[in-house]
Amino acid sequence: MNMATAATKTTMANSNMQVLYFDGQKPVGQPATLIWSERTAKLIGQQADQQYVFNQLRVSPRVGSADRFIALPDGGQLQCPDQTLLNKLPQESKTEDLVAWLERRWDIAIGCVAAMAACLISGYFYGLPAAAEYVALRVPLSYEVRIGEQGLKILDDQAWFQASQLPPEMRQRISDDFKNLVADLPIRKDLHLEFRHASPFIGANAFALPGGTIVITDQMVELTNSPGEVSAILAHEVGHVEMRHTLRHILQDSAAALIAATLTADAASMTLVVTGLPTLLLQASYSRQFESDADEFAFKLLKKHGYTPALFANIMERLENEKHAKSEKKGLEQEGLESDPLSFLSSHPVTRERVARARAAAIGTELSTQGNDAWDWGEDKNSDKDEVEVEGEDTGTIGILK
Amino acid sequence: MSANLKPNPFLASSTTSPGMKLVFRGTAREYFPIWIVNLCLSLATFGIYSAWAKVRKKRYFYSHTTLDGTPFQYLGQPLPILKGRIIAAILLGIYWITSQFFVSVLPWVLLVGFLLLPWVVVRAAAFNARYSAYRNLTFDFDGNYWGAVKAFYLWALIMIPTLGLGFSWWQQRIKRFMVEHYSFGGERGTFSATGGQFFKIYFLAGVLMIVAGLIATGIMFSMPAFSLRYAWIGAIPIYAAYVLAYALTRARLGNLVWNNTTLGPLRFHSTLKARTLAALYFGNALAIIFSAGLLTPWAVIRTMKYRADNMEVLFEGELDDFIGGGRTAVQATGAEVGEFFDFDISL
Repeated sequence: MNMATAATKTTMANSNMQVLYFDGQKPVGQPATLIWSERTAKLIGQQADQQYVFNQLRVSPRVGSADRFIALPDGGQLQCPDQTLLNKLPQESKTEDLVAWLERRWDIAIGCVAAMAACLISGYFYGLPAAAEYVALRVPLSYEVRIGEQGLKILDDQAWFQASQLPPEMRQRISDDFKNLVADLPIRKDLHLEFRHASPFIGANAFALPGGTIVITDQMVELTNSPGEVSAILAHEVGHVEMRHTLRHILQDSAAALIAATLTADAASMTLVVTGLPTLLLQASYSRQFESDADEFAFKLLKKHGYTPALFANIMERLENEKHAKSEKKGLEQEGLESDPLSFLSSHPVTRERVARARAAAIGTELSTQGNDAWDWGEDKNSDKDEVEVEGEDTGTIGILK
Repeated sequence: MSANLKPNPFLASSTTSPGMKLVFRGTAREYFPIWIVNLCLSLATFGIYSAWAKVRKKRYFYSHTTLDGTPFQYLGQPLPILKGRIIAAILLGIYWITSQFFVSVLPWVLLVGFLLLPWVVVRAAAFNARYSAYRNLTFDFDGNYWGAVKAFYLWALIMIPTLGLGFSWWQQRIKRFMVEHYSFGGERGTFSATGGQFFKIYFLAGVLMIVAGLIATGIMFSMPAFSLRYAWIGAIPIYAAYVLAYALTRARLGNLVWNNTTLGPLRFHSTLKARTLAALYFGNALAIIFSAGLLTPWAVIRTMKYRADNMEVLFEGELDDFIGGGRTAVQATGAEVGEFFDFDISL
């Protein structure tokens, strides 16, 4: 250590440095020589003959292997190749010096890659969802009401929805069952059930709107065999509301998009990759998680009120069959291609999995429990019930509407 | 002994030099640790360090770009940049909250943003110019708010009577506004490219996109069982045409703008090629995707190198024309707001 310092001193005291002098008036570089002594540097050139004390000088931070600059007190500056000698002089920026040291080490770079990977993966799977949940549960549900109202109004105005055509007594029955189902939930006051006859594109569907409004379409109700199945669907939607999935969706998606945009900013300017793509993939997997969470919530709620989760399995299977039947009709189904190749993007976990989980949850519960009385469809409805034509383009989605 | 001491055309006071190549000396090997360390620190500090990271990265690119042996210098300081970023984040937050929860107020927020935009553009340009230096002289940008409103908004109205064909003339006005308010050492930029020249380039790019659209439609309708499932096949020619059209406009417009710009005794000669640029972008995209982003520094460096290799600075006239002026401090706010919302305000 001592020797090193001594060596540096000697080098400094005895060395000359070839520099280019820029006076700050003209963009002209003048070759000059800087002669170092103990505490001073003497600049000798065509137009310069000046002595500087070390602490009058400021050396620009080291960046890669680039030439560096020494700022002179009179506004001039010297350009010179990077060398260790310069580190003994006063630096323009102390913090950058430390970073410059980090930037030169490959072990640190590799450590950074590992740390980033660990950080991003854990942040994506645990950190972000946890943070979004923490925030969402602290925002009153009533803040969302207006978003929900606006959403429903748009759907009504644009003729996606029409007034429900279900018999009033049927709606009454569903509403009553729904009230009982949520009677002991703290959010019951915010929950609100709406019936709509949907346009063909929406078809058999149910949504939880922000703010606690749940919409179920006539086509969905017509697909059910019993009031219990309707309750099973509604329980799932209540789960979305209870667990604040809409707000969490918004928060998680926004944060993920922001982080992805930050990380890919460099890449975006040098390529033409649509940087939104990874964000979309991330969001889809969040949706799947929300759907299974809402399912689990529904199973518990159903069991608590004497329903069996098997009701949920039944209606899900019927939705899926309906979808398949329609696909076959259109000639979309091909050998070996059981479902859409992009199904992993679907916001709904493969129905089979959900049905299996519902059946597992139903073990120990009896099918002859609550709500298993078949619908009384009245006149002709009952006769052709098995062939109810569901016009839906995309049946099989019950979920949250963003 | 070193590159900086070779014979210097700037030394002689009045010459016509054949031209000085812009040299980019950065390497992926050297830039990778810089990139990852700064990214990592930014992430670890929840973005606060990103202001320092920006300075480090800018410094790297500036100081490894040399003209006639002397590197450019980036003089921006992290703290003003941080302040700007905080303001930008607040603005973004306001926009986000309104767009999610108070949609009825959104038009007003957008209106304010619309009115703010020209200010952001001129401030960003001024910040970047005044903290960029070469040979101990700084650049400057003195465009003002009304100038920007005229170039960016009023000239946009030309598209209405011309049914959109006036787009090229509008773009020409924007470039002209930017170039003519840049200066170096007291010498202001001049700009002589015409709207007609812009039109030729945009017309070609437009034809490219239309042809690709027709091919895509053809593919879609000629498929045996038309289905949404195969929609992505139609996206291939569209994406390819998009890359080509983008590279075409970048290369040809870049050449057009630079070759018609003078800065005092300096003229520029840019020789970018659309095909090379498209291949470069495409290769970058593949490399970045298949390396999970780790080849980003490599892609950045080779793109910078290609751009520098195709730029030559020609020098004619008196160096006495350039005069160093006092440095004035510019707040970073405009620059950072601009960067946050991703505006491309480079030449």
